[in-house]
Amino acid sequence: MNAPAPMTSLHELTIKTFHEGLLAKKFSALEITQAFFRRIREQDRTIGAYLALHEEQAAMDAERVDVALAKDEPLGMLAGAPLAIKDLLLMKGERTTAGSKILEHYTASYDAGVIARLKAEQAIFLGKTNLDEFAMGSSTENSAFQITRNPHDPERVPGGSSGGSAAAVAAHLALGALGTDTGGSIREPAAFCGVVGLKPTYGAVSRSGLIALASSLDQIGPFAATVEDAAILFRAIAGKDPLDATSADPPDGGYGDELVHPDFERVRKLVVGVPEEYFGAGVEEDVLRSVEQARKTIESLKISFKKVSLPHTKYAVAAYYIILPAEVSANLARFDGIRYSRIPDLGPHVKNLRDIYVRSRGKGFGAEAKRRIILGTFVLSSGYYDAYYAKAQQVRALIRNDFVEAFKEVDVIFAPVTPTPAFKIGEKTADPLAMYLSDIFTIPANLAGVPAVAIPAPTPEGALPVGFQLIGKPFREADILGIGQYYERIVRGS
Amino acid sequence: MASPINKKTLEHLAQLARIELDPREEERLLHDLQKILDYFGELQALDTAGVVPLTGGTLLRNVFRDDDERRNTNRGAGTDAFPESRGRLLKVPPVFE
Repeated sequence: MNAPAPMTSLHELTIKTFHEGLLAKKFSALEITQAFFRRIREQDRTIGAYLALHEEQAAMDAERVDVALAKDEPLGMLAGAPLAIKDLLLMKGERTTAGSKILEHYTASYDAGVIARLKAEQAIFLGKTNLDEFAMGSSTENSAFQITRNPHDPERVPGGSSGGSAAAVAAHLALGALGTDTGGSIREPAAFCGVVGLKPTYGAVSRSGLIALASSLDQIGPFAATVEDAAILFRAIAGKDPLDATSADPPDGGYGDELVHPDFERVRKLVVGVPEEYFGAGVEEDVLRSVEQARKTIESLKISFKKVSLPHTKYAVAAYYIILPAEVSANLARFDGIRYSRIPDLGPHVKNLRDIYVRSRGKGFGAEAKRRIILGTFVLSSGYYDAYYAKAQQVRALIRNDFVEAFKEVDVIFAPVTPTPAFKIGEKTADPLAMYLSDIFTIPANLAGVPAVAIPAPTPEGALPVGFQLIGKPFREADILGIGQYYERIVRGS
Repeated sequence: MASPINKKTLEHLAQLARIELDPREEERLLHDLQKILDYFGELQALDTAGVVPLTGGTLLRNVFRDDDERRNTNRGAGTDAFPESRGRLLKVPPVFE
């Protein structure tokens, strides 16, 4: 059992201990919600995690939970839990900007599937968090509105694209958060900020109401302080949704209780693979050392390790940056300056429909969005389609097959999340290719559609956070979260 | 090898994508795209003959549902979010010369 946490400090609070404290009436949901808003007002001026706060609505929702509790109504694990939401997910009646000028004045008219589920669980939404424009980036420097700073070092990036959500959880400005992961946008910022981040199996979570970046790669997932909390959040948002035709329940029925209450006897029998391709040149010594320490801890639980090979890993970044822009160029075609949101001043010489389009998109999209839309237009254009797009899809099949083959030998794959810890603000903005290569260890899981969780690895006092990654078989989040929770018990001593 | 993208093709692509670029943006973009395309070149070294492409995120196959009434489809959400409207009419900027 967990020892009772000191309830005055938001630092100590997890979703689990919040729930226990709430039921024991150590505090009310409203008190904790207000405490978070106080802390956000104090801290977020320097961090910049939030784009918008929903203070009034949050207080009303928290009071409703307190009333339900006073009446002894049954409350779920997330009732009253204050969460942060990446500003790429629609919440009815709230502004949703995707971090872009082109959606600056857009107000969502329906709830994303995940928001509807969290509302049913009576979770509290503190606000919307910053991101790279349309989730295009690895540092949250591409937001049209502000940059977000890493809570561990304000001179460094929090990672991206879900940098606001990761920083909010790391700085104790929310108990948990939702982000999206298309090529690492949950796992990379989780690793950079020292929190847990889960990218679920493609299809495990509904994408309804998610502003699409690349539809064949996007997945919504949780950030949390602990693996257990991430499991609680994931269980709440997972499952088939009729409004997303690619969503699906696990083939054996549904996600069971094992997500949150793993059977450690079973977990111990899992075999973990270590892919040589993820530990080669380019990975910093400090990262290798921390990740190896985490591996040894897992090994000490009598979980066995085995070498595996994912031979096409080195082609993943190139294939991804062909497939992704291709989908981007199609998905972002809907932002025409007429629907959703308008650019207030289009300037002179706007005479016809075409002028409205080119001027709105020219003014509304930032540099990275333009780069990817035009790159996507190129790789899909006649004469180049086969050489780039069709080729990349074949490479994607080979990368997926690498995982299929590896998972015949092992149940879970162990790897670093990123080759380096958080880099400096401005360090990679002038070189898009260098920025793309920081996703080298996260992209393959998206291309293959498999689940992966980033978990903080041990680091020396004062050093930047480092994350390790557990990659699982499709719809076997229970395996990676199971090992993660087992690991967490040892390192947290709980 | 000459890059498949030059100033002329970039301007054409920007037209196709309906994005106005100023000369400075154009120059920067051309440089970036040439570098990125150069990096893509490493895929050409990989033999993919006969590999069936993976065309989506899932191996689920498309099926047709029964043609019956469905509730909860977010019907009307598109027009509800329209920037300007009067009653049930949607207002768009003047688009004719």
